[in-house]
Amino acid sequence: MSASLLDPDFIRRLARLRLLVRRRFAGTAGGARRSTRRGASVEFADHRAYAPGDDIRRIDWNAYARLEELVLRLYVAEEDLTVYLMLDRSASMAVGEPSKLDVAKRLAAALAYIGLTGSERVSVVPFGAGADRPLPPTRGQRRVGHVLKYLDAIEPSGETSLRKTVDEFLARRPRPGLVIVLGDMLDPDGWTRPLDRLLSEKHEPVIFHVLASEEVEPPAGGDFAFVDSERGKRVEVSLDRRARQAYLARLDAFVDALEGYAKKRGMSYVRAFGELSLEDALLSYLRAS
Amino acid sequence: MTFLAPYQLLWLGLLVPLVVLYVLKRRRQQRVVGSTLLWEQALRDLRAERPWKKLSPQVSLLLQALIIIAGAVALARPAGAGRAPQGSRLALVVDVSVSMAAREGGSSRIERAAAIGADLARGLPPGGEMMIVEASGEPVVRAPFERDATALERALGELEARGARSDLEAAVSLAAERLQGSPEGSRVVVLTDAAIDGTLAIDAHGVPVDVQRVGSGALPNSAIVDADARARVGELDRADLFARVAHHGPRAADLYVTATLGGREGAIASRRVRVEPGAMESVVMAVDLPPDAAGRSPVVELRISPAEGSEPDALPEDDLAVVPSPGRRKLPVFLVGTPPASVERVVRADPLTEVFRTDLDRLAERDEDADPLEGLFVYTGDVPGDPPAGDSVVIAPAGERVFELAVGEEVSHPRILTWDEADPRLRFTPLQDVHLASLRPLEGPAARSLVTTSAGVAIASVRRSDGETTVLGFDPSRSDWPAQPSFVVFFRNLLERARERRAAGGVPAGTLGEPLRIPAPDGAEVSVETPSGEALEAIGRGGLAVVPVPAEPGVFAVRVEGVPRFALRSLLDAHESDLSPRLEVTEGGEAAQGAVDEADEHAESWPWVAGLLLLLILLEVLWASRPSERRRAL
Repeated sequence: MSASLLDPDFIRRLARLRLLVRRRFAGTAGGARRSTRRGASVEFADHRAYAPGDDIRRIDWNAYARLEELVLRLYVAEEDLTVYLMLDRSASMAVGEPSKLDVAKRLAAALAYIGLTGSERVSVVPFGAGADRPLPPTRGQRRVGHVLKYLDAIEPSGETSLRKTVDEFLARRPRPGLVIVLGDMLDPDGWTRPLDRLLSEKHEPVIFHVLASEEVEPPAGGDFAFVDSERGKRVEVSLDRRARQAYLARLDAFVDALEGYAKKRGMSYVRAFGELSLEDALLSYLRAS
Repeated sequence: MTFLAPYQLLWLGLLVPLVVLYVLKRRRQQRVVGSTLLWEQALRDLRAERPWKKLSPQVSLLLQALIIIAGAVALARPAGAGRAPQGSRLALVVDVSVSMAAREGGSSRIERAAAIGADLARGLPPGGEMMIVEASGEPVVRAPFERDATALERALGELEARGARSDLEAAVSLAAERLQGSPEGSRVVVLTDAAIDGTLAIDAHGVPVDVQRVGSGALPNSAIVDADARARVGELDRADLFARVAHHGPRAADLYVTATLGGREGAIASRRVRVEPGAMESVVMAVDLPPDAAGRSPVVELRISPAEGSEPDALPEDDLAVVPSPGRRKLPVFLVGTPPASVERVVRADPLTEVFRTDLDRLAERDEDADPLEGLFVYTGDVPGDPPAGDSVVIAPAGERVFELAVGEEVSHPRILTWDEADPRLRFTPLQDVHLASLRPLEGPAARSLVTTSAGVAIASVRRSDGETTVLGFDPSRSDWPAQPSFVVFFRNLLERARERRAAGGVPAGTLGEPLRIPAPDGAEVSVETPSGEALEAIGRGGLAVVPVPAEPGVFAVRVEGVPRFALRSLLDAHESDLSPRLEVTEGGEAAQGAVDEADEHAESWPWVAGLLLLLILLEVLWASRPSERRRAL
């Protein structure tokens, strides 16, 4: 099952990549990430005045020679990063060939792999109408199989509410980290408020926008009764040229709005649909780091 | 507004497949999508861009439905309202002759006339009034001038065709007379099928007259125009049935003429006859007419019906004729007292009589109510104070009064001056050579004079509620009349008349729809059951109960205070059975053909064109809704 999510070639390409993080986070253990804390890495961060009890090995003697004051050299601490893979598993993710959920799970698997091999802590938070019981943060390359198995077991069902999901997620007071939202973002409750809340709680949201090919390229014509997979709502559409154009215009506006919002708030937005394969989409995001 | 061809409204049935086609056309392929959010927004955008888009399919359906409705209504030939004369006062004359009962397109001509009349009533201008005159044998005002359209429609609804020929001229004159002095714009409107022989000379004293024809024109119709049943001489209970059959129509008709007995199952005779258009054929059938257990022979019913392949009949009212059966047992003749030998000899010489001798005392002892005598009573001299019901003859009355007649003093050698040759009793009875030795002249308001002498009435007829009495104010044996043939003929006529009246049930036979004039004592309860089973009731007044009856041919079962009788009604009128329009209208002595509305004539070809149009529309719908077309359009 896990093999279906990550094939060996793809894993090889992922091995050289790291997750892109725009912010710094305070980790719980030493890791490969710059932390907001000062630590013992080789990267200089700042000076401060010496106080009794400080490690005299960190006194900057050159500065003392110039200033005749004892100051300590401070270095950037490198700690681990917590990556939350917030995976939409609502019923709408079941559509498409392959289904949007499958695509999202493969992306999540790849991201989890990169995170675990990069000494990050990885947590998986599946959500529908609310946050499901998450996979607690875990670290270490040995845990890759465990995470993939967890991802593989996720099935689509129910409605979507990112707002409720984020509310419930934040209610557990998680350590700030990289929150990668993987879903179609077609949420009747909207997505701006939950993403804003994540930002306000010092998280760094990343959007992996997954859409099915039939959502990007609707049928060329016909009389259809589209049934909403989550709400059951029925919308009758005679798909002529005008109707198709109106839909595509709405889709573009939706994607542009999401992308613009992310750009405005310094988030990463990744299109996991259209002409790019999901590997290309993922690699384009990772290479940016 | 009325429809001259309402059956064409059946085209409206095309609406059903049209709607079904639309339902089928709108069938959608159901598809589950992740979310319909974007589709909802897109559709909102489209509606905002083109607010009529949602309506467009319904507009198309509505337009096509309207095309069908308009086509069907056009085929149904709406008429009437558009031609309605708008006048301050309107006198509507409706022809109610039996030809107006002819049915075409599901309704009768008189129903159409009533519908046109109703349109006129509804279209009256403010303050306008309308009256309705029924043009039957005599014009009858069915509704006086009235503003209430509902009341007028009710009166129109009560109109029904009758057998009597319409006297349109009299009806128009009556209507014009009532319109004298009416405001300008008032007029007479005549609604007739014009199936009347002759000319309608309009003399309306300056009042405008519109003659509108009801009905599309000539209709095929076959009819019995004459019928009779005659006993075969020397053969008891055998009779010859005569029927004269006419046919009007474009093609010859093969008809069955079938004879049945009223109240009995099965035909007693039937003949097939072919009648050319406009021609008449006679049919004679020899049949057995045995009397029933009570000695009464049933009524003979003659009916025509089209043979296979012949076109249907537009007027069923003239397909049945009822005639009294001649096959009754011999006429009982009760000789009360001692009649002159010459009279008794003539009566006994008739092979179809049974003679009984009796006297006043024995007659008085009988319980007439329990066991009524039925036959002809011949009184000589005295007459009982309470004579039994039935026809009677009184010879040389003894008292001063007899059957409401005053009997005068005896006059010697009166000279016969006149006699009523039209009376059936005096057929073939020349009396100019008859000499009477004496006469007691007869007088009385209820008497009808049959023979008049220089001294007064010698023979009179008295019509009573329970019979007819012929009174001879003299003793034939004291004249030279018994030596002459007219004497025998007169008494044989009397016997034949009594026999006919008995066979006809005691109620004079009449034409279709003619009210029954039933002899009945004052205050007597009379009930009538029509051939279709409708029950009617009346009370005897002035010796008669007049019962208006519907225009149904057949036997009307009558009961006068429980005593059963019957009355016969048949059309038997060759002119009324001809349904073709032929009335000529003249105004001021000049032909005014244009006055008869001929607009209804143009009904032969355009309905087919309109039908073709409807068919093409249907094909268009089918074509537009076929699947390949849909795919191509998308």
